[in-house]
Amino acid sequence: MIHLAPKPKDMKDDFWKSKDIKISIGEIEEKDTKKMGEEVPMGPTPKPHVTDLRSWDMKLLDRYEPFYAPFCDMCCLCTFGKCDLTEKKGACGIDSAAQQARIVLLACNIGTAAHAGHARHLVDHLINDFGADYPIDLGMNIDIEAPLIRTLMGKKPEKLGDLREVISYVEEQMSHLLSACHTGQEGSSLDFESKALHSGMMDDLAREVGDIAQIVALNMPKGDENAPLVELGVGTIDAKKPVVLCIGHNVLPGAGIMDYLDETGQEEDLEVCGICCAAIDVTRYNDRAKVVGPLSKQLKFIRSGIADVIVVDEQCIRTDVLEEALNKNCAVIATTDKMCLGLPDMTREDTDKIVSKLVNKEIPGALILDSEKVGEVSVKVAKILAPEREKLKFLPELDEIQKMASDCTECGWCNRVCPNSKPMMEAVVAASKGDFSKLQELYEYDVCYSCGRCEQECERDLPLMDFVTKVGEHFVKDEKFSIRAGRGPVQDVEIRRVGAPLVLGDIPGVIAFVGCSNYPDGGKEVAEMAKEFLERNYIVVATGCGAMSIGEYKDEEGKTLYEQYSGDFDARGLVNMGSCVSNAHISGACIKIANIFAKKPLEGNFEEIADYILNRVGACGVAWGAYSQKAAAIATGVNRWGIPVVIGPHGSKYRRLYLGRADKKDNWKIKDLRTGKIMDGEPAPEHLIYAAETVEESMPMIAKLCIRPNDTAKGRQIKLNHYIDLYKRYFGVLPPDINLFVRNDKDIPITHKKEVKDLLEEVGWEPREIPQEPSLMGLDGD
Amino acid sequence: MIKLSNDRVIPWQPTVIAGPKQALLVTPETAELMIRKSKRPLLVLGPLVKEEPLLSLAVGIAEKWDLPVVTTGDAYKAFREKDLDSVAYGAIEIVNLLKDPEWVGVNGEGQHDLVIFLGCIYYLASQGLSALKHYAPHLKTLTICKFFHSNADASFPNMKDEEWLKYLAKMAGQ
Repeated sequence: MIHLAPKPKDMKDDFWKSKDIKISIGEIEEKDTKKMGEEVPMGPTPKPHVTDLRSWDMKLLDRYEPFYAPFCDMCCLCTFGKCDLTEKKGACGIDSAAQQARIVLLACNIGTAAHAGHARHLVDHLINDFGADYPIDLGMNIDIEAPLIRTLMGKKPEKLGDLREVISYVEEQMSHLLSACHTGQEGSSLDFESKALHSGMMDDLAREVGDIAQIVALNMPKGDENAPLVELGVGTIDAKKPVVLCIGHNVLPGAGIMDYLDETGQEEDLEVCGICCAAIDVTRYNDRAKVVGPLSKQLKFIRSGIADVIVVDEQCIRTDVLEEALNKNCAVIATTDKMCLGLPDMTREDTDKIVSKLVNKEIPGALILDSEKVGEVSVKVAKILAPEREKLKFLPELDEIQKMASDCTECGWCNRVCPNSKPMMEAVVAASKGDFSKLQELYEYDVCYSCGRCEQECERDLPLMDFVTKVGEHFVKDEKFSIRAGRGPVQDVEIRRVGAPLVLGDIPGVIAFVGCSNYPDGGKEVAEMAKEFLERNYIVVATGCGAMSIGEYKDEEGKTLYEQYSGDFDARGLVNMGSCVSNAHISGACIKIANIFAKKPLEGNFEEIADYILNRVGACGVAWGAYSQKAAAIATGVNRWGIPVVIGPHGSKYRRLYLGRADKKDNWKIKDLRTGKIMDGEPAPEHLIYAAETVEESMPMIAKLCIRPNDTAKGRQIKLNHYIDLYKRYFGVLPPDINLFVRNDKDIPITHKKEVKDLLEEVGWEPREIPQEPSLMGLDGD
Repeated sequence: MIKLSNDRVIPWQPTVIAGPKQALLVTPETAELMIRKSKRPLLVLGPLVKEEPLLSLAVGIAEKWDLPVVTTGDAYKAFREKDLDSVAYGAIEIVNLLKDPEWVGVNGEGQHDLVIFLGCIYYLASQGLSALKHYAPHLKTLTICKFFHSNADASFPNMKDEEWLKYLAKMAGQ
C-alpha cells in the first residue's frame, strides 16, 4: 500500500521537520533527521584511501569501459623520452592506454588541486576572520548540510574548524594520487582510472568544503529558491562610472571590494562586475555586483577598455591578462598565491603608496594578498584612473577596421587555428568591403569565444579580437539580462518533495548544465537546451559559466529563463546553484535523495549510496563547453557517484570517455537486492561520460541517460516519451534502441504505442522481469 | 616558410599533429583503390555534409560503391530524406564499436576493414581517428573531407571547395 503525504508546496518549509511526518512507499520510508552530535553507525569506508573503493570502480569500469582517444601519440614526461606510444610501449614500459589514463589522472589531479587550494584558502581565511568555532548552519530547512562530508568523512561538520580536517584529508589523498602519476608507478589503465575516479571524488569533497565555508561565513543564500535576480550582461554596466572587474573564482577579493564600498558609502559610485565564477560568487555575497558573463567574454571585455581595474584571483584567467590590461591602460591587481603574474608583492605596503605606484605606472600591477586591502586599493585606483582613461580610444573605429581588413591576404590561417573553424577570414574580407555582418555573427552569443588564436596567426598582425569587440559594441546596449544569484544547496524539504517522483520516474530527471564556455557554436545552444528540458518538466540545475549562458537568452517577450521559471528544485524549476564549487550540491542532492527519501545511511557508506544513485536517480550532467582540468575532475567525480555526463564535442579532447555497450547483454546484469536474483538489466544509464558531436545528437542522449532500472511503468513511459519525442524531432524516426528500454507493455508511452509495438514485433522483443531494487552490488566477483 | 611549402598535408587544424605517424596523402584514384581492395568497407557520414551539394555527392559515393553507411551527429535525417539507408550512431559510439575486433559490423557480417569518414566535425573526427590509429590495428581509415587528417591512415589533402567537390564527384562516378 502506498501512503502519500500531502503535497508540501503550500506549507512552511520546516513543516516536515516540525511534524515529524513519515512517508512510506513500499519499503522506502522517510526518516527522522539525526540529532546533532548523535552517534551514528559507521559504514565500511569512512575516509576511504586511494584503493578502498577500487572494487566499486572496477564494477563501473567493467560496464563502462574507458574509451581512449589520444591527443598526443607520445609521452614526454621523463628523459627516457620522447616515446612514441603508437602500437608500441614507452621506455618505461607504459602502453598507450595506460598513458592516456595517466594523463587523465593528472588532469583530474590538477582540477582537484585547484578546487582544494581554493577551498583551503577560503577555510583558513574565514577561520581567521570568524574563528574555528563559527557554526555551520545552513538554516532551518537544511539538516543534511554536507552530504559528501558525511558520507566520505563519516561525520557531520559542525563548525568551520571541522572543515580543516576534511581539506587535510583531501590534500593527503592528493599526494598519493599525484604520486601515482610519476614514472614507474602505476602501470594499469584501469587502476589509473580508479585513481582518477578517486581524484574526482576528492574534488567533489573539496568543492563542498569551499562552498559551505563561504555560504555560512559570508552569509550567501542558503538554499534559497527565491535568491535575488542579479544583473547580467555587458549592457548592464554603467561605463561612465569607475569600473572594477573581478576575474576568476575566489570570492574574497570581490567581497573585500563590496565591503569597502559599503563601509565608505560609495556603493552607488562604482561598478563592480565579474567574469566567470568570481562573478557568480560576488553576486551571492552582494547582489549589487554585476555579472559580465562567462569566460568567453574575457578577452573581448578587457579589449573594450570598460574596466579601469582588473582584480584577478585564481583559475581560468587569461595568463596574459597583465599584458592585455596594460595595453588598455588598466591596472591589474593579483590577489592569490596561485597567480602572481610576476608582480611586486605589495601586501604589506601602505594602501595609499600602492595606489600612487599603480596610478603613476611605477609598477605594472600589484600583488596584494589581503582582500581588505585589495578592496580599498582597487576602488581608489579605479576612481583616479577612470576620468583619465575616458579620454583614451580603446578600439579602432569601423572605418579603420575596414581599412585594416583590406590588408588581409586571405591566407585562411585564422580559420584553421580557430578551435571551431569559424569563418574569421570571410568576416574580415566582408569587413574590408564595409560589411560587418559576419563579424557581428561571430560576436553574438560568443560564437567566437575570443581565445585570440587567430590574431596570433595573422601574418598581417590584424587585431581581429578588436574587430569583433568593436562590431559587438553596437549590440552591447541590448546585452541586459538576468541570472538568479547562486542559491547553494538543495533544501531537505525539496528533496522530500521530489524524492519519490524522481526515483519513481514521474519527474523525468534532473539535468545539470555545468562547466565552461568552450562551446562549439556559442552559448545560445545551452540556453535552448535548458529551455527544452524545462518545458518538458525536468528539474534543471546550473552552475558557473553554464548558468550564465542560460541567462543570456531572452524569449520573445524579453524575459530570461530565470525570469520565466522558479528557482525551486522541482519539476520546471531552474536552479542556479552557484559557482564551480557549488557543483558539489548536485551530487549532494542525489546523495540526499538516497538518504532522506530512501533511508540509506550516509556515514562511511559510499558504495551503497553510489549504487543507489546509479540505479535509481535519473540525473544527468551536461558540460557542453567543458574545457578545464577542473571540469575533467568534476565530471569524473560525479561519474563515481553514478551520475552520467554528456559533454560537447571539444570534450573528446579529454582523451577518455566511459562508454557502455548496449549490444553486450551480459554487461547489464544486475542483482535485485529484494530477491537476491541476478537478472538481465538494461543499458540504463547507457554511458557514464559521452561526447556528442552536435546539440541535436545530445538532446535525445540526455533524455535517454535519465532512464534508470528502477523507474515505475508510469515513470518509464514519461521518460521514453521524451526520448522518443526528441529523437523523432532530430532523426525523423523512432529510436532504434527503444526495445532495450521497454520492459513490458506498460512501459510503452501511449502517444507512441502503435509504432513502438510495431518496432518491438519487428525485432522480436520479449517482455522481461523488472527488478525491485536494482543493484550492481552482490554480482560475481564481489 | 612551412605553411606555404606543404600546406596541403599539415593537418587542417595544425595542432592536432600527434606524433611521427602521419596519414598517407591520397587522391580519389588511390582512395578508390583502397575501397576496391577492402572486403567490408564502411562509410561514416557526419553532419558537415548534410546539405547540398555535399549531400548528393555523399549519397552518390555510397551508392556507387555499395557501401554500408553510418551517419553521425544529426546527419541521419537528411540522408533518410534522400532515401539513403544508414544506421545512426554518435561519432564516438561508432568509433568505440570499430575498435572492437569482435564487433559484427553494421550489417552483421563482421568487423569492417576499411572505414571512410566524410563530414564529421574536424577535431572530433581527429580524436576518433586517433583512437582507431592506436587501438584498431584490424582496420584502415580513410578520410575524404576537404581537410588533411593526420591521424587517419590515408587522407585527402587540405583543399578549397572547388577542388574537393571535383574529388568527391570523381569518387561518386559523376
